[in-house]
Amino acid sequence: MYDLVIRNGNVVDGSGLPAYRADVAVKDGRIVKIGRVSEGARRVVDAAGKVVAPGFIDPHTHFDAQLLWDGCAKPALSHGVTTIVPGNCSLSLAPLRAEHRMKLVGMFNQIEEMPLKAFRDGVVWDWETFAEYIARIRKGLAINVAPLVGHSVLRLWVMRDAAMERTATDAEVAQMQAVLRECLDAGAAGLSTSYVDMDERLQPVPSRYADASEVDALASVLGEYGRMLQIVPEFYDADLTIARLDQLAELSLKHNIPTTFSPLFVNADNIEAVNRVMRRVDEQFDRGARVWPQVQTRPIDISFCFAVPSLLFIRFRSWYRIMRFGAHEEILAAFRDPQNRQKLIAEAAPLAGLWPRLVLRHVNTDANRQYVGKTLGEIGELRGVSPVDAMIDLSLEEDLDAHFLAAGMGHNNDAEVGRLLSHPRVHVGASDGGAHILSFSTYGDTGYLLGHFVRDVKAMSLEAAVKKVTSDTAAIWGIPERGLLQTGYVADMVVFDPKTIDRCAEDYVGDVPGDGYRYVRDSSGVEAVFVGGALAWSAAEGYQPAQGQILPGVISAGLAA
Amino acid sequence: MFQMFPTRVWKEPDVSQLSRVRRSVLPQKDDTWADIARRELADLAEADAVSALQSWNLHVFMRATITTGRPGNPILPSDVIFVEPPLAAA
Repeated sequence: MYDLVIRNGNVVDGSGLPAYRADVAVKDGRIVKIGRVSEGARRVVDAAGKVVAPGFIDPHTHFDAQLLWDGCAKPALSHGVTTIVPGNCSLSLAPLRAEHRMKLVGMFNQIEEMPLKAFRDGVVWDWETFAEYIARIRKGLAINVAPLVGHSVLRLWVMRDAAMERTATDAEVAQMQAVLRECLDAGAAGLSTSYVDMDERLQPVPSRYADASEVDALASVLGEYGRMLQIVPEFYDADLTIARLDQLAELSLKHNIPTTFSPLFVNADNIEAVNRVMRRVDEQFDRGARVWPQVQTRPIDISFCFAVPSLLFIRFRSWYRIMRFGAHEEILAAFRDPQNRQKLIAEAAPLAGLWPRLVLRHVNTDANRQYVGKTLGEIGELRGVSPVDAMIDLSLEEDLDAHFLAAGMGHNNDAEVGRLLSHPRVHVGASDGGAHILSFSTYGDTGYLLGHFVRDVKAMSLEAAVKKVTSDTAAIWGIPERGLLQTGYVADMVVFDPKTIDRCAEDYVGDVPGDGYRYVRDSSGVEAVFVGGALAWSAAEGYQPAQGQILPGVISAGLAA
Repeated sequence: MFQMFPTRVWKEPDVSQLSRVRRSVLPQKDDTWADIARRELADLAEADAVSALQSWNLHVFMRATITTGRPGNPILPSDVIFVEPPLAAA
């Protein structure tokens, strides 16, 4: 008697090889047979007409905080994602001294646009070390987690406030190495750092005060474990990106570690720049380095309201300063003041082509509901004002709870994005899951890959796409025994309908601690998701108790510890 | 402990397989524009060299004021500093 048998499915096993019809049997959390299975099982799933694939692995998320109140990382599991990597971009929630908790909350708020109230109401601060954080999130964990250690956080732990001011001494670097070892021993999958991010004071994050020798010393520790180094390069400039990937390549070769940089976007105005970056990636791989560029599948759509800071406005100092540092009443006052309003409108002029295209997507008053779905250009015409005036007026009338959508801001040329995603040295990722929750939905990128780029655009085969987000990712990150449907492997699996898999429309839901909201996308076409052989989510039954693991873990006779 | 990749002996990298890209350096401890100019552009008068460096590194020179660390010196220890102008398009 097996624990689980999935019958009659088309097995897309994660290897990239052609799909084939087979049953999959599971016992004690592992795949024990693939083929014709005649024996019975405690749970039988009929997957006729459906695909059975390894669970998807999302290598770039910021679920660090959400995991404290939601061990499923909703809705990631429902999209077939069975493993997530939090702790990217130099930010993790451990190791973290009590004195720096609010500092970190501020950085998460500024960089990842996570609401302060969610931390206030959703987080019980009962850990400091990485091991304590891991023990904390294990409670109720239903999804696998391969957590990174944030370089900025590591610096704060060792150097305290000096981390935000200077390079480290030799003694401090040695301490960082020792603490990083402790984190890796406690289950960390690697280290993340950032060369672009700014903290809540709009000052460089601590990792940017590290010199190259410090990063080299930390990479040497990663080399002892064969673990990942993730960075955020100056992605807005190809020369800078190439300089960073060269730096990464030397670290990869010297310490024999995998490295990855994210994001890499392709837009109409940077196609040749991206080509140059990819040529350099190829050259560095040809030398034996591992420098994986991460590319997201979805286009850039940004929503905002003026009640919370939006990175869309970061280039407009007056707008961003009032959003970032102004209290609710101060923002309203700034919009009401005629002189200040004119100053804001003048500052917004360089993006005159953008404002008319913004779409009003949410209001609270009945009077303005007639405008929802219309562009600011259309609303402005109806009201006899400019698009920016319409945006300000609606925000005042809605007490700042008018939401606007800037759609198709980039990374939306299907031919170019599809070409990039198909590149054998591109790592599909960079979803940012769990972050930017009031700007856009960071969930459903795998559905978009399989629905849009495989089924609709035909940029790659289903088998190739599944390989990208399963066995490729497992191999890149050194995650053993996952990412393939293979006898003996851990039974992280997803059953989906290839004709309907997709991401649903973006929805605004109130499920964030502190009475908060976020943009999410439900899954479409996903039938069932299994973590370690246990049903974790199904379209029919919703979320179910499963036992997520901390990865990469260790190879053992049982599941990874 | 599981190690997917065995340790290798480190050798100095062979960069002969790499195509030419825009030349850059990473700052040394407490580097200023003048320090980098003297080291990397020794053939130029210092003022000219500093001016050239700043024009090639607007991502550093034009960044918003840094009030932490060493106020007045915008160069962060982690910055990439270009020591030549952008290469002409091939």
